[in-house]
Amino acid sequence: MIDHCYDFAESARAQGRPIVGIMCEFTPREIILAAGAVPVCLCGGSAATIPAAEQLLPANLCPLIKSTFGYHLTGKNPFLNWADLVVAETTCDGKKKMFELLGTSKPMYVLELPQKAEEPDALEHWVLELRKFQQFLASRFGVAITDRQLTRAIELMNRERRLRRQLADLMTAEPPPITGRQLLDFKSIISGIEADLQQYERALQMYAPANDRTAPTQHTTHNTHHATRNTEHAPPVRVLLTGVPVVHGAERVLELIEGCGAVVVCLENCTGLKPILEDVDVNNESDPIRAIGQKYYHLPCSVMTPNPRRFETLRALAARFRPQCVIELVWQACLTYDVESWKVRKLVEDELRLPYLKITTDYSPSDSTRITGRVEALLEMVRAKGG
Amino acid sequence: MICAGIDAGSRATKVLLFDSEHARIVGSGLADQGVEQQRLTAELFDRTCGDARLDRAAVGPIVATGYGRNAVRFADTTITEITCHAQGVHHLAPDVRTIIEIGGQDSKFITLEDGGRVRDFAMNDRCAAGSGRFLEVVAARLGVDLSTLGELSRHSCQAALISSMCVVFAETEIIGLLAEGVAAPDIAAGVQNAIALRVAALAGRSVTPPVCFTGGVALQSGMVRALETAFSCAVFVPSLPQYTGALGAAILAGRQFRTRPLL
Repeated sequence: MIDHCYDFAESARAQGRPIVGIMCEFTPREIILAAGAVPVCLCGGSAATIPAAEQLLPANLCPLIKSTFGYHLTGKNPFLNWADLVVAETTCDGKKKMFELLGTSKPMYVLELPQKAEEPDALEHWVLELRKFQQFLASRFGVAITDRQLTRAIELMNRERRLRRQLADLMTAEPPPITGRQLLDFKSIISGIEADLQQYERALQMYAPANDRTAPTQHTTHNTHHATRNTEHAPPVRVLLTGVPVVHGAERVLELIEGCGAVVVCLENCTGLKPILEDVDVNNESDPIRAIGQKYYHLPCSVMTPNPRRFETLRALAARFRPQCVIELVWQACLTYDVESWKVRKLVEDELRLPYLKITTDYSPSDSTRITGRVEALLEMVRAKGG
Repeated sequence: MICAGIDAGSRATKVLLFDSEHARIVGSGLADQGVEQQRLTAELFDRTCGDARLDRAAVGPIVATGYGRNAVRFADTTITEITCHAQGVHHLAPDVRTIIEIGGQDSKFITLEDGGRVRDFAMNDRCAAGSGRFLEVVAARLGVDLSTLGELSRHSCQAALISSMCVVFAETEIIGLLAEGVAAPDIAAGVQNAIALRVAALAGRSVTPPVCFTGGVALQSGMVRALETAFSCAVFVPSLPQYTGALGAAILAGRQFRTRPLL
């Protein structure tokens, strides 16, 4: 995906389209697309850029924040180098303060995200922020952002979300036709690329249940596959993976889990289903900004307080994807997900009645053996329960 | 049938031979872990068979467990130490509901259901602060042998407070305490308390007795008392506390072999 994103962004730049970096799923890509710009996800997933970041940032900070900032300092992310603007939100404190540092050498625009999404005025505040953002983008890039353009962008993003949901739905099958890692690979760092959407459509045709007989069932066998000798032939254990985003380059834990003889049937996080479960209401043509705001303002991120929608989402996804256990991934020093994990564990164990495992780690592979051991023990537990 | 369990731990490898028909242990051996793990394990296995006056060919299925389980190439299969410790302890003390296992670099907290099945478990993450390695570092810093560290703690008048969550920081903290003139027994006792509190934090929820304490650190006198204080309940150490993982592996080897061929 990255290679063709590179080509896409390069040719978009040649046509004079601005590149707008985004840092979070709260950013409404629709408004950026309507401004004729290309939204690119810039969340860092590389351990290699962290040492550079630690020259300015504390070591005890989430690796995603450090890696993203490290990319900026080392100039190793071409998309970030190209970005004419970076848009972000007031999500967690670590990101918020990092954006201030990033803003000293990169044009930044930070949207203020209300964190009590359940309050009646939260949406109003967010819609106001989006209107300001719309004006800012229009004047910055010298374009008009019309309702018509917004509506077209909404339709494009809705189509992308619908296709990605349908791809994710393939995982309801038993066993699923692809691995969780393969599903994650479909996620592009640039939204709204027509070639991507067509690829999704082809994949859906190939793996759709109706074509089961002709579809190549290339289950598991990712290159990290090293299932233990006794589980090689056992059916994969169905795992729901929740917690922090698994951004490009930081897929290690997902690969370790599937390498142990499991299949991640549901990725609940921001790189999975969480941000694509809802569409923007395309019928609100008189006020598309409000319609966009309605979709985005209450994403169940752990920065929200309280965050009941996360638990509602987990309940619904568990019912749909029928996991046999839940694994929660927490990036070290991600305080909001770490603290909230207690509630997730309670939900999973007491209500869903499933085994739960929390993995706290960062981008360095030094604890891979330990993580594998714990995942294998969890899978043994699940299998013992089943048999 | 003689079954074997091999627990390739981070600091020591344990081999246990188990007669599955008579449900009794027929041999055991232990060796320090080293660089050439495969060779060391094979040698220990042969030696343990020899000591038990068993022909190596008479040993049936072999299950490897522990941190280095995948490196034991001659094992028929591998099972994690969580499942194996649960099985081993259940064999020795069927009524146990909670296991605290502290080894070279791990501390584990395992809760059991009836029948010895794992109900839930927790392990320390990257840091070794709640493990045997911590005790090694402290013993070296205090200039005593690891085997006498527990004894030293018995002479403590007031255990030092050691709060660091990391072995490296804890060592720095201990250097500071020594510089302040804190007595070595108080530091030794403080370290035991720190480990016990780390494990209690892992446990998180209420602890169901009976509580069994295994792993190499269970051999340290003073640790049981520290754990009993941290958990506010009685803790006992079974016979062969270092071998419960290998024992569980051997028992599971016999069981798997009975139900279906291993390969």
